[in-house]
Amino acid sequence: MPTLKIDNREINVPAGTKVIEAAERLGIMIPRFCFHPALGSVGACRVCAVAFTEGPVKGIQMSCMIDAQDGMVVSTTDAEAVDFRRHVIEFLMLNHPHDCPVCDEGGHCLLQDLTVAGGHGLRRYRGLKRTHINQDLGPLVQHEMNRCIQCYRCSRYYQEFTGYRDLGVMGIGSRVYFGRSAPGMLESPFAGNLIDICPTGVYTDKPSRYIGRRWDYQRQPSLCIHCSLGCNLTASARYRQVVRHEARPNLEVNGHFICDRGRYGYAYASIADRPRQAMAAGTPGPIVDILAGAREAIQQTVEKHGPGSVAVVVSPRSSLETLAVVKEACGQHGWTGPAAAHTNRQALNRNTAVSCLRPELAVSLAADTEAHDVLVIGADPLNEAPMLALSLRQVQRRGGHVIVIDPRGVQLPFDFDHWAVHPSAMGAILQALIQEIGGHRATAPDTPATFDITKLARRLNASPRPVVVCGTDILTPHEIALAGDLARALRRTHKVAGLFYTLAGANAFAAALLHDQPVSTEAVLDRIEDGGVRLLVAVEQDLWREFPDRKRLQAALKRLDHLVVLDYVDSPLNREAGHFIPTQPLYESGGHWINQEGRLQAASPVMAGGEPIEITGGSDHPPRVFDRRIPGDEPLAAWRAVAALAGEDEADPAPQLKTALADFHPAVNLSTPEATGQRIDLEAIAHDLVESGPAPEPAEDDAPADAVVLLLVDWTFGTEPLSAMAPALTRMEAAPVARLHPDEIARLGLAEGRPVTVSLNGNRLTVPVQADPRMAAGVMAVPRHHLLEWQVFGETRVIVKRSQLKAESE
Amino acid sequence: MAKLTTQDLEVIKSAQKARLAFRERTYLLICGGTGCHATGSIRVKDALLAAIEDKGLGDTVQVIETGCNGFCAMGPLLVVHPGDIFYQKLTVEDMPELVESHLINGKPVERLLYKDPVSKARIAAQTKIPFFAHQMPRALRNKGLINPESIDEYIGRDGYIGAAKALFDMTPQQIIEEMKISGMRGRGGAGFPTGVKWDFASKSAGAVKYVLCNADEGDPGAFMDRSILEADPHAVLEGMIIAAKAIDAHKGYIYARTEYPLAIKRLGIAIDQAKGYGLLGDNILGSALSFDIEIYQGAGAFVCGEETALMRSIEGKRGMPRPRPPFPAHKGLWEKPTILNNVETLANVPQIMVKGGAWYAGVGTQTSKGTKVFALSGDVNNIGLVEVPMGTPLRTIIYDIGGGIPNKRKFKAVQLGGPSGGCIPESHLDTPVDYEAIAKVGAIMGSGGAIVMDEKTCMVDMARFFMEFIQDESCGKCTPCREGTRRQLQILEKICEGRGEPDDIDILVELSQTIRETALCGLGQTGPNPVLSALRYFRDEFEAHIHEKRCPAKRCVALLRFEVEPDACTRCGMCFRACPADAIVWEKKEVARIDKEKCIKCLTCYDKCRFDAIF
Repeated sequence: MPTLKIDNREINVPAGTKVIEAAERLGIMIPRFCFHPALGSVGACRVCAVAFTEGPVKGIQMSCMIDAQDGMVVSTTDAEAVDFRRHVIEFLMLNHPHDCPVCDEGGHCLLQDLTVAGGHGLRRYRGLKRTHINQDLGPLVQHEMNRCIQCYRCSRYYQEFTGYRDLGVMGIGSRVYFGRSAPGMLESPFAGNLIDICPTGVYTDKPSRYIGRRWDYQRQPSLCIHCSLGCNLTASARYRQVVRHEARPNLEVNGHFICDRGRYGYAYASIADRPRQAMAAGTPGPIVDILAGAREAIQQTVEKHGPGSVAVVVSPRSSLETLAVVKEACGQHGWTGPAAAHTNRQALNRNTAVSCLRPELAVSLAADTEAHDVLVIGADPLNEAPMLALSLRQVQRRGGHVIVIDPRGVQLPFDFDHWAVHPSAMGAILQALIQEIGGHRATAPDTPATFDITKLARRLNASPRPVVVCGTDILTPHEIALAGDLARALRRTHKVAGLFYTLAGANAFAAALLHDQPVSTEAVLDRIEDGGVRLLVAVEQDLWREFPDRKRLQAALKRLDHLVVLDYVDSPLNREAGHFIPTQPLYESGGHWINQEGRLQAASPVMAGGEPIEITGGSDHPPRVFDRRIPGDEPLAAWRAVAALAGEDEADPAPQLKTALADFHPAVNLSTPEATGQRIDLEAIAHDLVESGPAPEPAEDDAPADAVVLLLVDWTFGTEPLSAMAPALTRMEAAPVARLHPDEIARLGLAEGRPVTVSLNGNRLTVPVQADPRMAAGVMAVPRHHLLEWQVFGETRVIVKRSQLKAESE
Repeated sequence: MAKLTTQDLEVIKSAQKARLAFRERTYLLICGGTGCHATGSIRVKDALLAAIEDKGLGDTVQVIETGCNGFCAMGPLLVVHPGDIFYQKLTVEDMPELVESHLINGKPVERLLYKDPVSKARIAAQTKIPFFAHQMPRALRNKGLINPESIDEYIGRDGYIGAAKALFDMTPQQIIEEMKISGMRGRGGAGFPTGVKWDFASKSAGAVKYVLCNADEGDPGAFMDRSILEADPHAVLEGMIIAAKAIDAHKGYIYARTEYPLAIKRLGIAIDQAKGYGLLGDNILGSALSFDIEIYQGAGAFVCGEETALMRSIEGKRGMPRPRPPFPAHKGLWEKPTILNNVETLANVPQIMVKGGAWYAGVGTQTSKGTKVFALSGDVNNIGLVEVPMGTPLRTIIYDIGGGIPNKRKFKAVQLGGPSGGCIPESHLDTPVDYEAIAKVGAIMGSGGAIVMDEKTCMVDMARFFMEFIQDESCGKCTPCREGTRRQLQILEKICEGRGEPDDIDILVELSQTIRETALCGLGQTGPNPVLSALRYFRDEFEAHIHEKRCPAKRCVALLRFEVEPDACTRCGMCFRACPADAIVWEKKEVARIDKEKCIKCLTCYDKCRFDAIF
C-alpha cells in the first residue's frame, strides 16, 4: 500500500494504482484522453503529464503510466507540467473543427472541458485543417471523424475490450482514421458504448441526434430491464419523451458499459401507440371510473364464485413494488396466483436457480471477469444476456478460459471451447462432471469423445477461481440444480468458486420470491379451462406476445367472465379486456428490481409522464394547444393500480405499499437505503427446491431417433418484446430463421434457405432454414422473434418428430 | 545434411580456408549486392560466364557472386584474383574483351579500372584504391570475399567458431563480460552498451526469452544493414546464437522489411543451411542450447524500427511504440524478456568472441570502441559502404574515402543519423566518429547513414524533406509527434514557398522543444533534430527565405525570380535553345535575358544551365 503526496495531500493507495487514479481518489482530475479505467493506460495522448518532484521517479511524466510508489511527491500544478499540457492541447485542437454549436457532444465534451481547463484559449495556427470523410455506421452510432483527437479509445475498446474487428484504426501519422474499412453497420452489439467512451463528438448517439443538450434533459439513474443482468444506466428524457440511455458505471455489475439492446430499447415508453387511456371493453373512460368498474367486477366474481376464481398474472419484468402489492393482494384476498412465469417448466427453472444460489457461491457480473475458468451451461450469453458475453471476454483477455456446453451454435467475441451437446445429454454430462470433480471416476455419458469430461473436471479442479454460469431458458429444473451442485462441488476444493444464473425477466429473481411453489400462467389457464378461475387480472404481462400458445390463450380468455389488463404496451388484449388500465413504465414510476445474482437496485423516475410533445404537437414546437392537464397523463404506476383494485376504498395506497414491501420476503429488506445496490439476504431463501441427485426418468426428452428438439430461443435483437419496439433496433435484427446443423438439414430432408413447416397438435410454424455447423445434432433453434408467430406449441422446448416436419418448396 | 560437432566445424574451417586461399589465384568475384543488381550485374555475370565458356575456360575459372562489395557508385563491380584487380562500371559488351585480355593474355583492361578523380591515374589493385585503403572492415569483413549463400565459405572465414567458443568454453556471464570489455555500443543509433543490455535481459526472470535482430533499416540514405545481410548473413545468425546463450533464449526473430528481398532470400538460405548443420535448432553443436530463428517481414513502416513498435508488429499488432519502462529486457515481445540488437551490432559479435573484447576495443576513442559502418551517399564521388575505426574524422570519410564533392562544388554539410539526426557543417568536419563528439555538434551517430550535401543544397528544403519523412512515418499514436511534426512541415513548406513570416523561426523552435519533451518514443523525440540542427548552422538561410524571399542555394523553385546572373552566365546559349516558350533573349557572346512576359516558369532553362546562372 504505497503512500504518496499529490499536490501536498497524502494518500494511501493499493499497489498497482496509477498516479492518475490515485489523484482521482483525492478528487484531483488530471486531464486525460487516452486513459480510461476500463481500458487502462497507453500513454498516447500525453495530456496527463504531471511533475514528480521527489521520490523514485523524477521530472515530467505521464501520470497514467506511472504506478504510485512510496515517497512520491507529485505536483499537478507545476508550471512546467501545465505548460506541457497546454502545448499538447493546442496540438489536439489544431485540426478540431470547432463545430461545438452543432455537435451533440457539446456540453458534456471532455475535449471542451480540457481545452478550457488546459489554458489553450488563443488559436495560433492559421493553416488548413485535415479533414476526413465520415461513414454510415448503421442506425445507432453517428460518425464525425473530423472531430477526432486520436486518443485511440474507440479502437481499443472495440477491438481489445469487446473483441470485434470491424472498427479500428487505419493509416499512420496525421492520416490516422478511425472507422470501418467500408461504411456499414457496426457488428458489435456493444457499439453504442463508443458514444460514451469517445472524449469528443466523433461517435454520437444517432437516434437522439439534435434532440437536445445534456443539460436540457431530465436525467436520472435508471436500470435496464431488457434482460436479467440489471445493468445500470442513466436515462434522459426531454419533452415527455425518453430520448437516450447512457451507461452508468457500476463496478459491481456492468462496469462502464451496457449493450445496445439496453441502450436503445427505451422507445416503447414513448411510442405513439402506447396505451394511455383507460378503457372498458374497448371504450375509453375516466380512469377512476374504469378502476371502480374493475374493482366491482372482481367483487362480483368473488361473491359469485369465491376468491379463488380471481387469478392474477404479473410480469417478471415488473418492479418490486408491483410484485409486492400483487403478492399482498393475492394473499389478503385469497386470489389465485400471482403467476409470474408462462410455463410450469419456466417457473420451476427460475425458482430452482434462485433456491440454488447460496450466498457463498453467488458472484456478480463484474466478479465474473476475475474468474480463471468459466463453465457456461445451457446459456447463450450474447443472445440472452449480452453483457455477460462482454464479461466473459474479459476472462479470456486476462488469460482465463471459457467452456460453453450448449446445443445452440453459440458465438462469442473470443476464442472459447464449445461442446454442442444435445439437450437430453446435458444432465448426464453435469452429473459425470460432478462425480469427476469429487474424485470419483464417472461412467462416461453418451457424448462424443472430443468432450473429455475428465479433462474438463481436472481443469476446473485446478483452476484458482472457477465460475459456473447457467442459463434457465432451455434447460430443465434438474439440470439447473445440477449446475448448482457443480459449483458446490468445486467450492469444496476451492476457496472461491462462483455460481451465476441468468434468468428470464429483469425482476425474475423477485418473482421467484413470490411463492415457494411457483405458479405459472399455464397452471392458471388450466384453472380457467376447468372453470375454477372466472376473472383474470394481467399486470404488465403481455400474454398475447409472450405466452407460448396463443390459440389456447385465446380460447381460455373466451371462457372467462371478465379480463382486467394493466399494461403500458399496446396489445390486442387491451381492447378485449373488460377493463384496461394504463400503467407507467419505469421511467415514470421508478422502482426496485432484483437482478439475477440477487442484487437489489433502484431506478428513479425520470419524468412525470404524459404524451410526448412530438406526438401532441404533431412534431410542432412549442405546442399550440394548451390545457390544464398534460395530455396522456392518466397512466398509473402498476402497484397503485393494483392497490386500487384490491383496496376497499380510494385511500392513499402508500402505506399499503410499505406494508407489502415489508412483508414481501424476509430476504428483501428495503428499510434502510444502504440495502439498495447490495445483494439481498440469500441465506433467507428456502434452498434445495428441486432435489438434484440422480436424473429423473427421462420422459419427453428421451428423443426418438427420428426427432429433433425444437428450442424457441432469445436473440440479441428482435425477441425481447420491449426492445423489439425500438425503431433503431429493428434495423439491427436478423430475419427469423430455424438454425440446424447442416447434417441435420440433410438428414431431415430439408434444404438451406427454404422454409420448413413444423406441425404439432394441429399448430403450424413456418420458418426458413439456416445451416449452422456449430449446432448440436438433433436440435432446431428458432427465435421468439416478433416477426414470427411462434406462440403455437405451448412450450419453448418441444420434441418434433421427423414426420411433423415438412420442407416447403418456397 | 548431418548435424555438426565442434570438431566437424574445425574440419570444414580448415578445408574451406585452403579453398579460399586457392580462390585468390583463380576466382572472379562479381558483386551481387542490390546496388550492382540494379546497375545490371546479373546480365554482366551472364555475359562473363558466356565469354568464359566461349574461350573454353569454364573448368579453370570460377565466377562467384558475392554480397555487396561496398563501392556501389562504381557498379557493376568485378574483382579478379590473382592480383585483386578491381573492375568498375562494367557492361555486357566489356566481357569478351575482359576475358580475352585479362584471363587469356594476363593483361588487365586499363579502361575498366578505377580512375582516381584527383590524379586521373588508373589503379588496378582494390586495396590501393583510396576508397578501400582507409577502411577497416570488421562487421563487413567478409563482404565481397565469400559467397553469401555458402555456409562452408563462411565457416572457412572463422564462421561459427565464435559461437562454438561461446557455447562450450564460456558461461553466459563471461559472454556478457566479454561484450562489456569490447565496449560495443548499439549500432542502431542510440549507442546503448550491448553488454549491459544483455546483462539486464539475462538477469530478468523467465523461462521464455527472445533475441531479436532489427533489420528494419528505414532511414533515407541508409543501406548498411541490408549490405551486411546480403554479404554475410551467417555473421548475424551467429551473433544471435551467442546472444541467445548469453540471455538463455530459445527463439529469435529477424525483423526485416519486405523491401529487402535479396537480404531476406539470403537470410532464408543461411537459416536453412545453419539448421541443416545443427547450428540452429535443438542442442546446437551438441551443446545444451536450443535456439531457432525466424524471419519476420515488416511492411516497411519506419516506426517499426523503434524497438517497442517492432515487437508489437511481430505480435501481429499495429506497429506502434509504447512507453518505456517497462523496458524490453524485462517485458518485451509478448511481455517476455527480450533483447533487440541491430544487424551491424550482431555481425560484430562473433569476432569479439573469437578474438576477445580487448581486441575489439583496441581501436576507437575513449567512449566509442571498434568500427562503424557508414552508408555514404548524396553529393559525394564515391557513394558506397564504408567501415572505419571509431575516431576517424568525418573529413577522412568524405574526402579520402568518399573522394570529395563532385562537379567541383563546395561541401556544405553532412547529414548524420537520417531523420533523427542532424547536419554537420564544414566548420565541424574534423569531428571524429564518436557517439559523444557527434552529439555535441548537434547530430547523432545514428545507424550510419551519411548524406553529403554540396553548396547547391538548400538547408530549409533539406529540413523540409526530413520533416516530410517524419510526419509521413509518424505512427499517429502520440499527439506531439502526430500533430507537431505536421505543423512543422507546414511551416517549412510555407517558408520554402516564400510565404514565411517573421515569427516562423520562433514557432519552429518552440514546436521542436515541445515535441522533443513530450513525444512518446525516440522517433518523435528526435524528429525535430534536422530542423534544430539546420537552424543552428544555417539560420541565415531560413532568414533569407523569410525576410528576403530568396533561396541562397537557388533550390526553392517558388522563390526563383527567373533572372540571369550576368557574372555567372557563360553566354553559352543553352537556355536559349532549351526554352519552349521563346522567352529567352540571347545573342552569341551575349548574356542571356529572360522575358518575364513570355516565361511560363517551366524550369527548363534552370535545369539546363550548368553554371547556376539562373536564379
